[in-house]
Amino acid sequence: MKNNNMNTVEVGYGKVDKVKVGYKLPLVFIGGPCAIENEDHAFKMANDIGEICLKLNIPWIYKSCYDKDCRSSPDSFHGTGIDSGLKILSDIREKFGVPVVSDFSDPEWATATGEVCDLVQIPAYLCRQTSILRAAAKTGRPIHLKKGQFMSPWNMKNSVRKLEANGCNQIILADRGTFMGYNMLVNDMTSFPIMNRTGYPVCFDATHSIQLPTSMGNISGGQREFIPFLVRAAVGCGINALFMEVHDNPKNALSDANTVLDLKYLENILAQAKIMHETRLEILDKFGEDNVHPE
Amino acid sequence: MSTQNNNVTITSVMMPIVEFPVVTEQTILKEALEEMDNLHLGVACVVNNEGHLLGILTDGDIRRKLLSVQKPLSAFFIDDAIEHAIINPIVISPSHSLYDAVVLMDKKRVWDLPVVDNKKLVGLLHLHPVVNALLNR
Repeated sequence: MKNNNMNTVEVGYGKVDKVKVGYKLPLVFIGGPCAIENEDHAFKMANDIGEICLKLNIPWIYKSCYDKDCRSSPDSFHGTGIDSGLKILSDIREKFGVPVVSDFSDPEWATATGEVCDLVQIPAYLCRQTSILRAAAKTGRPIHLKKGQFMSPWNMKNSVRKLEANGCNQIILADRGTFMGYNMLVNDMTSFPIMNRTGYPVCFDATHSIQLPTSMGNISGGQREFIPFLVRAAVGCGINALFMEVHDNPKNALSDANTVLDLKYLENILAQAKIMHETRLEILDKFGEDNVHPE
Repeated sequence: MSTQNNNVTITSVMMPIVEFPVVTEQTILKEALEEMDNLHLGVACVVNNEGHLLGILTDGDIRRKLLSVQKPLSAFFIDDAIEHAIINPIVISPSHSLYDAVVLMDKKRVWDLPVVDNKKLVGLLHLHPVVNALLNR
C-alpha cells in the first residue's frame, strides 16, 4: 500500500468541527483526560485543551472514556458509567463544537457509544475481539483501533479485516507500545509504516507508550519524562494523528495518574509536534515517498 | 515437435478451476501456500471478484522472496498473496492449439500456463498433463 493511496478518515457528524485524518493532512490531536471524572472537570479540560489547539491551529478530537474496564485493581475508578458519561460527551460536543471519542469494552455498549461519539475507540487489550470489532463496525462511525501491546504491527491487519468484513472502512490504527517482558513497554517505530500498509492512517499514543503496565503492584506506573522524545520520533516517522491523555492535576487524576500528561506541558509538546509534522510534509514534497530497498 | 496429437485442444487438457489453487486479492500468503500444498501444485492464480486473473504466485517466487525479504516469517505470512505474485503473467487463450501452448511454455521456460478467456481465468495448463496428452497416454 502506497501512502498516497491511504484512506482519509473523516471524523465528525452534525454541527461539530469536522476533522480529517490522512495523507499529507495536518496532524490531528486526540486528547483529554483518560476517564470522565465529572461534568465540571470534563468541561474544564475541553475548554483548556481547546484553547491550546485553537492557538496552535491544530485540529483536535476530545477523548475521554465513560468506563475504564481494564483497571488493574477492583477498587480503581472506572468512570462515570455509560449513561452519564455519554451525556457529558454529548454536552461537550454541543458546547465546544469538538468531535469526541470514547472507547467501549462491551459489545452491548457499542450502539449507544456510536450514537454520541464521532469516533469510536477499541481498547488495545480488546483489539482482536471479534465481537467488539463487529459491534464497533456496526456503529457506522470511524474507528480508532489501538494495537494491543501483545500484537505485532503486521498482525493488526487481521483486526482491520474484521472491521472491513463488517462494513467499516474508516479506521485509524494506533500504536501504544509493545510489551518487552513484564511490566515494560517499548516503541517500535517501524510499526507506523507497517500499519500504514493496511491502507489506513496511523496514530501514536504517546502517554500510554510510556506506561509501565501494572508496575506499581495494582496500578500502572509511567515514565512521563520521555513523552516529548517519543512524540518527536513518531511525528518524524510520519504519523497522521497524535494521541495523548491530558490532565490538569495528574497527581489526583482518577485514572492513569502516572501516565497522563500535565496540561501545563501540552502546548509545548503540541507546538513541537506541529513543527515536526509540517517539516515532515516538506521533506515528503522535496524527496518523495521513502522507497529504500523495496521488497 | 513431432507428435500425433497436434490437434488436441487446450480446453481438453487444462485443469478446471476447482483442481488448482485460485485465491483472491484478500488471501494472505500463508493461506495461498496452504492451498498450493493441498492441491499439490507449485502455482496459485490470484483473481478479482469477477474472476479476472490478476497475477500468479509460484514456488519459485516464494523461494526468491525468502532469500531476499528479511522480515519475520510471521510478517511475511500475513502479506496479501498478490503482493508477492507476478502481475500480468504469461497466459494463453483457449482458442490456441495445445501445440502453441507447449511452444510458449518452452520459450518462456514455465511449467504452468493460466488459460484466460477475455480476461477471465478458465483453467490451468500444467506441463505433466500436457506431456501425457501429447504422448497420447
